[in-house]
Amino acid sequence: MPSGWWLRKRHYFLYVVREFTALPMALWLLWLLFDIKSAGAGPSGFQPPRSTAFVVFSVVCLAFATYHSYTFLKLAGVIIHVKVLDRPVPPRAIVFTMFGLWALASVVIGAVLIGFAR
Amino acid sequence: MSTETRKKPAYAHLFWWFMFANGGGLAALVLPVHILVQGVLGPLQIVPVVDQHFDTWVSVLGNPLVKLYVLALIALSFFHFAHRLRYLLVDFGLHAAKSVPAQVIFYGGAVAVTLVTVWVLLTTAPISLG
Repeated sequence: MPSGWWLRKRHYFLYVVREFTALPMALWLLWLLFDIKSAGAGPSGFQPPRSTAFVVFSVVCLAFATYHSYTFLKLAGVIIHVKVLDRPVPPRAIVFTMFGLWALASVVIGAVLIGFAR
Repeated sequence: MSTETRKKPAYAHLFWWFMFANGGGLAALVLPVHILVQGVLGPLQIVPVVDQHFDTWVSVLGNPLVKLYVLALIALSFFHFAHRLRYLLVDFGLHAAKSVPAQVIFYGGAVAVTLVTVWVLLTTAPISLG
């Protein structure tokens, strides 16, 4: 395949962006692991994450993570085949359900992360 | 096709696809809100967030359900990432990424991150049901 193939069509470019989302998401999860480990330093050694650089890093990762969610959940209609009362569920209903689950999970996790704070 | 010549189910392939699909699905459902709340809103102090204070962070991390959730999130996601990044390299012409050593590096990396996560979760905040 010629080099730069992924820049020739918008569809190819978006495919590469979709696959690349794995890298920033992996980096952010490694940071989360570091954040968890920092709790082991004790109250005196604990530094809450508040730097501007970290916020910028998170905003970039958030953009990639949101794109991953959109593309991955949209594919659910193609991948998942479910029957209810012997009738296949339309792909659109499956995609709608997945996006609904995304919204629900976001609300629940957001509520836990904020609600258990002081 | 006779039973003797029938191919065995590709259990290894099935396993990697299971990890890939579930890791991608779990990351899609929950990762954006973690990044938004813990990476943006908390550090900017727009809302209070558990990991901004030592006592609330340790308290939440001590919950065994939270430990299991974090383990599932990180472990499954990394198997997904390993699979995607390996095939991205193949798409960019690096055919060595299909080789067994490359698989060992990528999926071995996911296993290593999983083991480190288990170690961090077991050694950071004591398990507490309270």
